[in-house]
Amino acid sequence: MSLEAEQKLASGLKELLGDRVSDIKVQRARSIFVTVKAEDYKESIRRVIEKYGITHISTITGADSGPTIDVMPHLSHAGTKITFKAAVPKTAAEIDTLTDILPGAVMYEREVHDLLGVKFKGHPNLARLVISDDWPSDVHPLRKEYKVIRPEPIRKT
Amino acid sequence: MAMQRELLRHIFKKAATLRYPFKDKEKVHIPSDFRGKIAFYRDRCIGCSMCFRVCPAEVIEMIEDEKGKRPMFYLDRCTHCAQCEGVCPTKSIELTSQYESAGTDRTQMILK
Amino acid sequence: MPEFSVIVGPQHPALKEPESFTFWVDGEDVVRAEVRIGYAHRGIEKAAESRTYIQNIPLIERICGICNVAHTICYTQNVEYLYGREIPRRAEYIRTIIEELNRIHSHLLWVGIAGHEIGFDTLLMYVWRDREVVMDLIEEMTGNRVSTALMTVGGVTRDITPELATRLRKGLDILEERTKYYKKIAAGESTILARTKGIGILTRDEAIRHCAVGPTLRASGIKSDIRADDPYAAHDEVPFDVITSDTCDLFGRVVVRVYETIESIKQVRYCLDHLPNGPIRIRLPNTPPRGESLSRVEAPRGEDIHYVRSDGSDRPARYKVRAPTLGNLAGLVEMLTSKGNYKVHVADIPIILAGIDPCMCCMDRTARFIEPSRNKEWVWTWDQLKRYKRRSGR
Repeated sequence: MSLEAEQKLASGLKELLGDRVSDIKVQRARSIFVTVKAEDYKESIRRVIEKYGITHISTITGADSGPTIDVMPHLSHAGTKITFKAAVPKTAAEIDTLTDILPGAVMYEREVHDLLGVKFKGHPNLARLVISDDWPSDVHPLRKEYKVIRPEPIRKT
Repeated sequence: MAMQRELLRHIFKKAATLRYPFKDKEKVHIPSDFRGKIAFYRDRCIGCSMCFRVCPAEVIEMIEDEKGKRPMFYLDRCTHCAQCEGVCPTKSIELTSQYESAGTDRTQMILK
Repeated sequence: MPEFSVIVGPQHPALKEPESFTFWVDGEDVVRAEVRIGYAHRGIEKAAESRTYIQNIPLIERICGICNVAHTICYTQNVEYLYGREIPRRAEYIRTIIEELNRIHSHLLWVGIAGHEIGFDTLLMYVWRDREVVMDLIEEMTGNRVSTALMTVGGVTRDITPELATRLRKGLDILEERTKYYKKIAAGESTILARTKGIGILTRDEAIRHCAVGPTLRASGIKSDIRADDPYAAHDEVPFDVITSDTCDLFGRVVVRVYETIESIKQVRYCLDHLPNGPIRIRLPNTPPRGESLSRVEAPRGEDIHYVRSDGSDRPARYKVRAPTLGNLAGLVEMLTSKGNYKVHVADIPIILAGIDPCMCCMDRTARFIEPSRNKEWVWTWDQLKRYKRRSGR
C-alpha cells in the first residue's frame, strides 16, 4: 500500500515545526504520530491547526508510561488522524490547555485530569467528569500504581 | 393525521401475542445456531485448555478425571459469547439452542 | 428575576439512561444547563489491562448494547493494525453487512424513542414492530438478537450461506418498504413537524466549534462521515451517499437518520451481491508486536475512536475508548441554552436530549461504582464490587 500522501503530510509537518519535533512516524494509512516536548506542545499544535485549518479534535488519550504520563491529542484533518504525543513527569503532571485554540477539547481534558491526575493550565472548569465527588482527590485510578486485585470466588458451590 | 389509513387497517387484525409459556411454546422460532446453553462432549476432549484461556467470564475450570484434564463449566457465569466453541480444536463444546436456563440454585448449574 | 434551577436526573422518566442535568429556568425558558455524567461508569479501560486480547472482545462488546458491532469492529481492527496484517476480503464484507444491519436497528430504535419523547406512542409501537424484522435477521446471522459476538482478531467467526443470504434479502425488502413509509410520515405528519422544527438548533459554526460527531453534525450541514473520509472494512468499495440536512434542528436529525437507514439497506444488498469467496479468518499469534495504534469507525451515533498500546505481552498496556456521545455533549449543552431569538422551553428538554441519540453507558464506560442510597455514601473498589456481586449470588 503506498503511503505517499501521508509521507508528504509528515514532511510538511516536520518542515513547519522544525526541531520542536523529536520523532515523526507514519504508522499506517491515514495515521501519523508526532512526538514533541511538553514545553512546545501548545505552540506546535497551534501552528499545525492554523496552517492546515484543522477544527476537529477526536479525543485526548492519557497513558501511564512508568515515570511519565503521555498526553496525546488526536486531531483529524481530511480523513487523516494526526496524533501529537507529549510526556509529562508523574510527580509534576502539568501541561497547557488546548481549549482556547480547540474548544472541543474541554471534555477530554477533564477526563484525563479525572482519571490520571494531569493538570491542564488555563482550563475553564477542571471539575470531575466520570468519577464520583467523594472519591479521594489524590488517588488516580488509571495510573499503574492503582492495582486491581481480581478476587477469588468466596463460594464455588 | 398521516397514519390514519394504516391504523384503520389494523383494527380488525388478530393480536400477535403468543401465550408462552402456557401454550404456543412450539410456535417460538429459535434458529438452529442460536447461542444457548453449553453442551460438552467428554469423549472428544483432549485437555488442551484453550477454552480456559479464552473465556472472559471465568466459567471454565480445568479438573482431572480418569481420562485426563478436562473443563468444568459454571454455567451461571456464562455470557454465551461462543469463544470456547470457536477455539476448541476437536469440537467438544457446543452451544445448543436451549434458551430456558433459569434456575433457583447455583449448585445445580455446574456442568461436569 | 430570580433564577430557578430544575434538576433532571439521574433517574427520570424522560431519560433512558442515567445522567444528571441542572437547568436554570426563567418561567418556561431554559437559560442555561449543566451536565454531570459518570453514573454508569464501570471500569472497562482498567479492566481491559488485566485481560488478554481475546478475552477483551466480549468486554468491549458490552460497552454498549446497541452499538456493540461498532465497538468490536473498532477493537479487532485496532489489534489487527498492531500486527500489521490484512484480514481476508470476505471477512471485511461480512463485517460491513453486520455493521449496517446494526445501524438499521439503531436508527429504527431511535425513531421510536423520538416518537415516544414527543408523546407519539403510536409511532413508537409501529416502528418497534418493524424493528423485530431486523432483530430476527441479526439472530439468523449471529445467534442472538442484539449482542452479535461475530468478531474475532483476524476475521469473523461465522459465514453467510446462500440460504441465509436469501432470507436476508427478503427481510431487507420488508424493511425498505416500511422505512419509505416512515419517510413519508416524518415529512407529512403535522405533530412531528410541530415538535421538531426549530427545536434544538445547533448552527454550523457551533457544531464545528464543539467538535460534534455523527448525525448531529450531519444535520447541521457538514458532510463528514468516517465511512467516506477514512474508510475501513469494505467501505472503500461499497457505494453510498453521505446524508446531510441544512436545517440544523431536530427535524434535520430525524431526516438524516431515516435516510441513512435506506442507504444502509442498499449497502447490505450490494455486499450480499458482491460477496467475495475465500476464508473468513486468519490465525494470528497471541502476542502482538510492540507499538501503538489508532482506529476509528462510524458508529450509529457518530465517530468512535479507540487507541491501543502494546508492550509485547498478551495483555494491552493501555486501551482507550472515546464513544461518540461524549463528543456530542458540548454541543448538547449549547443546544439547551437560550440565546437571542432562540428560546428553549422546558417541555422541549426530553426531545432535545433524545435528539443526539445519547448512549450514556458508552460514554461513561470507565470504572467506578457509587451507591448514594440509604443515606450512606461509600465508594467501593473494583475488587470489593466483584466480591459483592459474587456474594449476593448475581
